[in-house]
Amino acid sequence: MSDPNDRMGPGTYLTPEEAKEFHKLFMISFLIFTTVAIIAHVLVWNWRPWL
Amino acid sequence: MWRIWLIFDPRRALVALFIFLFVLALLIHFILLSTNKFNWLDGPRTTSVAAGTAAPGVKGP
Repeated sequence: MSDPNDRMGPGTYLTPEEAKEFHKLFMISFLIFTTVAIIAHVLVWNWRPWL
Repeated sequence: MWRIWLIFDPRRALVALFIFLFVLALLIHFILLSTNKFNWLDGPRTTSVAAGTAAPGVKGP
């Protein structure tokens, strides 16, 4: 799987294993960010609803 | 879904995402600060404007 010929597309330097590892971290960070944003929006809605 | 990182360079994607989110957040915060209803620092501007317009008319007898 680490064969460079398995890599798809130009301009990428990740093996599928590295891509999976990065994707896991990315999704965790994305979910944390989204959770914080949702909490912030709920607080602002309780402060002053905008609709 | 993880195959997206085989298409897009993660380093460039992260930099682009961070810059985009930062500019968007800055834009939204400044837009909200410019409104009367959602300015959380100074509050509504109407009172000060009304006071400012009323100020020239205030003349002592």
